[in-house]
Amino acid sequence: MFPYLDQLNTGKKSKGLTYVVYTLVALILSLANALFIEFIEIGGLTPDLLLILVVWIALSEGQFVGLFFGFGIGLLFDMTSHDVIGTNALAKTVVAFIAGYFYKEGKQDQTIGSVRFLITVFLASLFHNIIYFFFYIKVSEMDYWALFTEYGLAISLYTTIMSIFAMLLMIPRREINR
Amino acid sequence: MQRIINFIVKFKEYITFASLIVICLALISMGDVSKLGGYRAVIIGTVGWMQEAFAWIPNPGALKSENRAVRELNLRQSAEITRMRHALIENKRLRQMIEFKDDADYEVISAEVVGKNSVEMRNTLTLNRGKIEGITEGMSVRTDAGLAGQIVSSSDNYSLVESIFNRNVRISAKIQRTGIDGIVAWEGDEYLLLKNIPTSFDVQIGDVVLTSNFTNKYPKNVPIGVIKQIKDDPGSLFFKVEIEPYVNFSTIEQVFVMKYIPDEERLELIKEFEEKLIARKKK
Repeated sequence: MFPYLDQLNTGKKSKGLTYVVYTLVALILSLANALFIEFIEIGGLTPDLLLILVVWIALSEGQFVGLFFGFGIGLLFDMTSHDVIGTNALAKTVVAFIAGYFYKEGKQDQTIGSVRFLITVFLASLFHNIIYFFFYIKVSEMDYWALFTEYGLAISLYTTIMSIFAMLLMIPRREINR
Repeated sequence: MQRIINFIVKFKEYITFASLIVICLALISMGDVSKLGGYRAVIIGTVGWMQEAFAWIPNPGALKSENRAVRELNLRQSAEITRMRHALIENKRLRQMIEFKDDADYEVISAEVVGKNSVEMRNTLTLNRGKIEGITEGMSVRTDAGLAGQIVSSSDNYSLVESIFNRNVRISAKIQRTGIDGIVAWEGDEYLLLKNIPTSFDVQIGDVVLTSNFTNKYPKNVPIGVIKQIKDDPGSLFFKVEIEPYVNFSTIEQVFVMKYIPDEERLELIKEFEEKLIARKKK
């Protein structure tokens, strides 16, 4: 999400520091999600910024690292929201697992700085919402597919649109590397 | 052992994924939203505090939707108030009518005014009751407040009322307080006129005027109106008395048809006498 993260990845700084930065970004996005998400709310729908971060990490660091960050970020989200603890952790772990399949070592810039990133975010978001709404429905006893069609798809689309900004952050880096 | 390690390294992603899923499911199965203890309570408390701290930042989108919601609520409440006010007025009017119906000397048929007509100083009303309900020509019509007119024609389901606001109508009337008799007529003004009241008689503003015992067209003692003005008519022996009618032609909506038919024997006798007078004049 930040160009200098890639500089960290190239070995100029340690991997550890990269993970610290990811963690800080996750914390900042969690707070932003709790405090300012209403400013970008459209018709009651909000994008999942943390999901974009999870996909970014999975595509940058691979499936294995992505899994841990997906789990951790999901858990963080569960704690800052009123959701049942574990629901977002589960959904975002699955997201990291799916996004990890699109990881190509040494070609992170091309993956994230292209439409492939948007497709990955959209697919990951769909799976995320299928899982998340499953637990949501369990509590509210609403019609699952109606809710998923009305909100799940819309949220996935909105999240994908927001991920364009993340993709644009990577494009200059991709051009330099060429 | 090495094979196990190799297996774990080879499938580390799947093993990690499966392990994390198990942990997540365990957390979900243990999770209880209603119990906010430990770290979660601290985090939620902190986030809540921060949300409160940033609440001053205006959100145009939220304000707009809130404004729209408030306006819609305002509109609904305004419509509700109008309906309630209308119901209140209607309730009051119906209560008065029920009370009147209980006290009426004559059997009455309630009817609704479905049409009004004004042609050359002749105001008529159309009622939604007719011959089927027993309404016939000659019956008097009134509201709970006072005299409204007389049925001049009726069909099976409708009746036509000649209102007291009619230049041809003459009503034999009396002042309730003193019993002084006069003739009520309408000359197109806001008020009715009480004629034939000598200047020497006791007449006061506020006196109530009723139909008199001498009328055969309308039942006796039906209120007509209240005296509003008493004027001296220079060169005349009579007052010019103005009566504010109890019935307002423009707002009348519900009426009672009084099952009062003038005595035909009496009418016949008067008619006979009038014909004799005309015959004498011709001679």
